[in-house]
Amino acid sequence: MKYFAGIDIGSTAIKITIIDENKEMVGHRISGSGSMFYNYAHQTLNDLLKDLNISKEEVLYTVATGYGRKLFKEADENISEITANAIGAVAAAKEFGAIKTIINIGGQDSKAISLDEMGNVVNFAMNDRCAAGTGKFLDACAMNLEIGVEELGERHFNSKGTPLSINSTCAVFAESEIIGLLGNSHSVEDIVSGVHYSIAKRIVKLVKRVGIKEGIYFDGGPALNGGLVNAIENELGKKIFIPTYPQVTTSFGAAILGVDSYNYQSVGV
Amino acid sequence: MHEHKIETPNEKQNRHKAMESVNVLNTLKEGFKTPPKAMDYFYNLFEDVYCNQKALHKDKVKVGTMCIQIPSEIIYALDGVPIRLCNGFYTDDEIGSDFLPQKACPLVKASVGHLSSKNLTDKPDMIYSPTTCDQKTKAGTLIASFGYEVVDVDFPRTKESEISREFFRRSIREFSADLSQKMGKKLSRKNLKASISKIGYAQSLYHQISEFRKNKIVPILGNDIFLVTNAFFFDKIDNWIEATEKLVEELEQRVKDEVNAAGKISPRIVYTGSPPIFPNYKIPLIIEDSDGIIVADETCSSNRMFNDRVAVDEWFVNDMIDSLADKYLKACTCPVFSKNDDRIRRIVELVRSHNADGVIYQAFAGCTVYELEQRSVLEAMEREGISILYIESDYSPSQHGQLSTRVEAFIESLKIKNRNKK
Ligand code: SF4
Ligand code: SF4
Repeated sequence: MKYFAGIDIGSTAIKITIIDENKEMVGHRISGSGSMFYNYAHQTLNDLLKDLNISKEEVLYTVATGYGRKLFKEADENISEITANAIGAVAAAKEFGAIKTIINIGGQDSKAISLDEMGNVVNFAMNDRCAAGTGKFLDACAMNLEIGVEELGERHFNSKGTPLSINSTCAVFAESEIIGLLGNSHSVEDIVSGVHYSIAKRIVKLVKRVGIKEGIYFDGGPALNGGLVNAIENELGKKIFIPTYPQVTTSFGAAILGVDSYNYQSVGV
Repeated sequence: MHEHKIETPNEKQNRHKAMESVNVLNTLKEGFKTPPKAMDYFYNLFEDVYCNQKALHKDKVKVGTMCIQIPSEIIYALDGVPIRLCNGFYTDDEIGSDFLPQKACPLVKASVGHLSSKNLTDKPDMIYSPTTCDQKTKAGTLIASFGYEVVDVDFPRTKESEISREFFRRSIREFSADLSQKMGKKLSRKNLKASISKIGYAQSLYHQISEFRKNKIVPILGNDIFLVTNAFFFDKIDNWIEATEKLVEELEQRVKDEVNAAGKISPRIVYTGSPPIFPNYKIPLIIEDSDGIIVADETCSSNRMFNDRVAVDEWFVNDMIDSLADKYLKACTCPVFSKNDDRIRRIVELVRSHNADGVIYQAFAGCTVYELEQRSVLEAMEREGISILYIESDYSPSQHGQLSTRVEAFIESLKIKNRNKK
């Protein structure tokens, strides 16, 4: 069998996707990136292949992407996470229809990407201010509230009052705001929905910079948080599409590109 | 995953406004030393109106006013409820940006944005728009294009001349006739006198509070006072009076018990300039958060509404209308006029009577008249030896850090001056 790997080495996690020659996802794996990027990436790849019962030789082409992509020297090719994200999103959203706008919230950054009819990147914007509106910000808030990140969605929908806005964009100052709110016995639920709306407003501003076009796709780990999705939809006033595995869109895109490169190269010889 | 309906534009606007409101109300309730118990009425009122969309005047004819210059005495006498449409929400400011230049006055943009959305709990049945500043004047026409009934009320640009006085008297007579016809009710000696004395009583409550703020120990924050006077824009007047009476009582007790709303050496500030309207208490909150205490203000959303009483010689309807016109014109220290010695005199007087340490002059970015008048006010304060800080701001929450650094530095400089005096 022929397999292809996409490896996304991000700031907080390594995401690997394996696909077959028909560009169908075979499996994926996520692990923390930690201090030893390189070793972790290899180990994650080996573990994944073992799980899938695929030998190294069956993987014909590997494409690396993400901040750490240059560190993974064994890759046959590497591409920017913007391109990989776009390719992956177009493929993952097949059942949803054409997508024109991608929102990606990563561990330490967030992006908005605008696509043309053909799925090519025409414009993109990234957040310019530290952790504001990123996964890290959500993690920090959850920690201050002493709840798990995976609980955030449920809490959001249980909010009965007005969402309490968090004014600081900086995670450090937001922490003292949250502690202040808790100290005045405001409900965790209202704080959670406030956090979500604060992030959502920032994200919508970012998306406006590239232009909001119908066909909106949201990926990155935080897309699993239904509360945040709800907040972004309300701020946009539009429905957005969340793929089944939002964390791995970018590595999926890298793998797809691998298939194309492989075919191109073998024809070329 | 949850399937949830996406908010309608109105729901979104309401949520945004609720979030803005709660943010300010929580700061007032929780961010400072114990606020007076009597403030709870006002906190709840704002929460009801702006978070829970509670309408206060369902069965009444609501008369919208675009500025302080429409005498509410006449509206009350004719059984209407005046609703002042000056708006302080950033949410509405953003909506208004679709209709007005980005650089326009945020107050005007917010008022226009609010009316354009048609999402009002106490929707005005008609609107009177005094032709004061350029932006307000133009806003009136724009608002009419949204389908509201808007009547311009001519307003002069000089204050001292006999022509202006006569001009505004005629204008207010016209306004009275127009409203009287729309309400199907006549102004009488009885109803007009009653409403003049009711508003006069409300003013007297404000004056009592002002007296407390002259004390060395200031029993209430300036921000709380802004909330009280803002409530006068739209509250049921009898409820407002009752709640303010309670506040006066409590403040009297607090003065006796020496309950200080400020810190031990908080500099005393007179606030002047573009009106802070709920929830845009950005600068006033920064001031009191930086250990300043606002002891008085010269703004059309607060002090200017209550300052001067109507002086009536003869209690005939026409005389009363003329006296009202005179009072509104004379007391107005809005920078729309050619000269504004009155405004400067008022600020100096407030500084002296309230023993203030400095003045903070805030102009909305986009308000040309307040920006223009900055120079003459600054010069006058310098002559009088009064410290003054001039700042421009708008409704956006973003410049918070920069503004608070400037305000803090000013307040600290006042503290240093005070220490050196000793
Ligand atoms: S600033 Fe002047 S024109 Fe504007 S509402 Fe106040 S008094 Fe009226
Ligand atoms: S702040 Fe300036 S522009 Fe705005 S209403 Fe008042 S006078 Fe007009």
